[in-house]
Amino acid sequence: MEEPIRILLVDDERPAQRSMEKTLLRAGFDVNTASNVAEGLELFQQALHSPHPFDVAVLDLNMPNFEGIESPTAGLDLLEKLMQAQPTLPVIVLTAFDEVAKTKAAINAGARDYFVKGREEGLVELVNKTLAGGK
Amino acid sequence: MLSRQSNFERQARLLQAAAKVGHAITSLLDLDTLFGQVVDIICDNYGFYYAGVFMFDPHQPGYAVLRTGRGEIGRKLIEQGHKLKIDGTSMIGWCINHKLARITADVSRDAVHRSVLPETRSEMALPLIVGDQVIGALTIQSAEHDAFTDMDITSLQAMADQLAIAIENARTHTQIQHDARLLEIATDVGRTVTSILELGKLLPKTVDLICESYGFYYAAVFLVDEAGEWAVLRAGRGEAGRIMLERGHKLPVGDHSMIGWCVAHKQARIALDVGQEAVRFDNPLLPKTCSEMALPLIVQDRVIGAVSVQSEEKAAFSHDDIASLQAMADLLAVAIENARLLAELEAAHRELVRTKTFEAIASATGEAIHWIGNKAMPILTTVKRMRADVAHAALPKSDAESLSEDLDLIEESARLILAVKEGLIGQAREHKPRPAMIQDVLKDAVVRLGIAPVVAYQIAEPVPLARVDTTQMSRAFTNLLKNALEAMEGQAEQRITIGVAPASEPGMMQVTIADNGRGIPAEDLDKIWVTFLTTKNSKEHLGLGLPACLQIVQEIEGKISVQSQVGAGTTFTILLPAITLEGKADLPAGTKSLLLVDDDDDGRRFAQAALLGAGYHVQVTPTVTGIDPWEIPGVDPGAFDRILVDQSLEQTNALDVLRAMGAASRRAVVVTSSLVVEQTKEMLQAGAQDVVLKPYTVQELAALVTA
Repeated sequence: MEEPIRILLVDDERPAQRSMEKTLLRAGFDVNTASNVAEGLELFQQALHSPHPFDVAVLDLNMPNFEGIESPTAGLDLLEKLMQAQPTLPVIVLTAFDEVAKTKAAINAGARDYFVKGREEGLVELVNKTLAGGK
Repeated sequence: MLSRQSNFERQARLLQAAAKVGHAITSLLDLDTLFGQVVDIICDNYGFYYAGVFMFDPHQPGYAVLRTGRGEIGRKLIEQGHKLKIDGTSMIGWCINHKLARITADVSRDAVHRSVLPETRSEMALPLIVGDQVIGALTIQSAEHDAFTDMDITSLQAMADQLAIAIENARTHTQIQHDARLLEIATDVGRTVTSILELGKLLPKTVDLICESYGFYYAAVFLVDEAGEWAVLRAGRGEAGRIMLERGHKLPVGDHSMIGWCVAHKQARIALDVGQEAVRFDNPLLPKTCSEMALPLIVQDRVIGAVSVQSEEKAAFSHDDIASLQAMADLLAVAIENARLLAELEAAHRELVRTKTFEAIASATGEAIHWIGNKAMPILTTVKRMRADVAHAALPKSDAESLSEDLDLIEESARLILAVKEGLIGQAREHKPRPAMIQDVLKDAVVRLGIAPVVAYQIAEPVPLARVDTTQMSRAFTNLLKNALEAMEGQAEQRITIGVAPASEPGMMQVTIADNGRGIPAEDLDKIWVTFLTTKNSKEHLGLGLPACLQIVQEIEGKISVQSQVGAGTTFTILLPAITLEGKADLPAGTKSLLLVDDDDDGRRFAQAALLGAGYHVQVTPTVTGIDPWEIPGVDPGAFDRILVDQSLEQTNALDVLRAMGAASRRAVVVTSSLVVEQTKEMLQAGAQDVVLKPYTVQELAALVTA
């Protein structure tokens, strides 16, 4: 049997995180969740050195940063570290803000896609599309 | 011949009369009173039949003008403007020329005397001398032959000398009074104007005050523009002023006009339509003007403008008046500068408060939107999962239906919440106004909506740039265009007319968006601007579109209004701040090769002309349906240093263009009038190097091509 696709989901909003997790789980993905960037980075590094690293990361933007301070761009800090460690990792950046500057920053920092919460619903489709494009 | 005895008596009598006259006239300090009485005093005391005083008139050089004359004859002569040439042809002229008295024993052959003073038999002319200067002459006439002897001259000249001094004293006194009055008015005007701190009120009030206080026919204030090239009319008295203001009356700084001259030379200037340098005043709006004075408005050695005062009198201004009127102008200049500084300070303060308030609101709104997005999104994803559960669960049909209905209710509410979030998020963002070709912003919105076939444009030529945040304006235009489309739904003939023109309101430009749709009933016209109040009676319409337009337009101090006729259509009129760019900037020279992928529109023509003018190698790619641009012979995207792709292309799609370029897309910068997340993301994913706001000025273009 084929190994399930592994997804790292980092979001500090508990209901949003859980809802996305449930949706992704039902779609058959193997989901690991983190509620802040430090926890997310730790999960990523553990997996990176395991036989089965993450296939996709889904990162919220607005969370406490590595210093534990609430930051609207904490997700970008984590993105930068993930890209350094694994430049080929497909990353989807999540946000409730639709700011062009952040979109550009995320894409330029290596994110494959940018997902405005509430405006787009098809997270599963987006993950599939990103995986297909990344191959 | 008179006996020696009677001669002495006569001399004594003359001297006595001289003393009496001297005493009487030196007490008359007012010039008009003096001239009104002096000839009577002389005639009465000496027993002459007629006396008259001739004076120099600065406006009639070469002539001695009769200033006063005895009785009815004198009055008539003055009325006729009686004057005598200062040469040898008249006694008065001779006497002035030679500074000597002269007697004519018999005037019976003199034509003037025969006609106007028929009773005169002998005459004496006496020069009026002050110090070294002749100021005029006195004529005394008798009904007797030989009334004057050479011996009389001494005593009568003594009287004339006293008269000359009395005239000079009265003149000085009158001038002092006149100056004092002018200075008093200047102080009054100054006190009043310095208390008005609002420039918009100060200038109209000033011209009224000047006219009322000094009794002038017209007054106007001109202020110099920033470039120092024009004196622009800012206030003018009455209807003439109103019309000239409306016409945007302005005069070039320099020697072509009184005002221009006075600004250029920092000096007052007088023009009169009398005298040697008579000026013809031919402004049809000011037909009564006979004299004008222009006074510079100077603040700390800097000319900020000029005041024009005009009078119906032919010689209303003398050089002696300049000082006191200039004192008034100086006070006015200070008042204008104060009002200006205050206005600047207030504007800066307003801007600061506005920015800070807006930052606070934007930040609070942003937080709220973030919050709503985060909280509402799980509702929709959860509903989606529950629907799947219901479908798979073995539930009785009625339960499944009921659950399904409940999920519908939850989903509808969640969607409404998210729709409101979407409706509020855009215009809550900060505005970054910049000069923009508004017709291009409109065209881009039309292309994005895919409604080019139903849109006609009426673009005035030339049309100024608008000062707007183009992304926000796009949002407003898109809302208005969507409204127009909905109003025309189901109609066989759908027509939207977009107009761009200068506005009648100064400093503004006008955009109109007119449809031929069903129109808005009069009773609904006020409601359309109210948030959440929709007149469309539909779940899809939250009543956020037009309030958003209003908010966006008001944010940049523009105006939006609507006219509508049921069954005929609706026209939205938007006034936006216009901007005239100072001078004509040139793009710094460059040699790069550039490819412009754009429709043939104002935006492209501007960029193409500026780039070609600066030496760039520019190629423009037509975008035609069904033709891959790179298949057009001679166009190889890889051969260009930089490619500019307009995001809104009528016949093709910027994404397709980027994809067709392959690796060359890394040299492509997508330019757009409306920077939004989805398109930006797609363009970057398709390989574009960057997505930026479309340049509408040489400076923006320079930043883009030299980056």
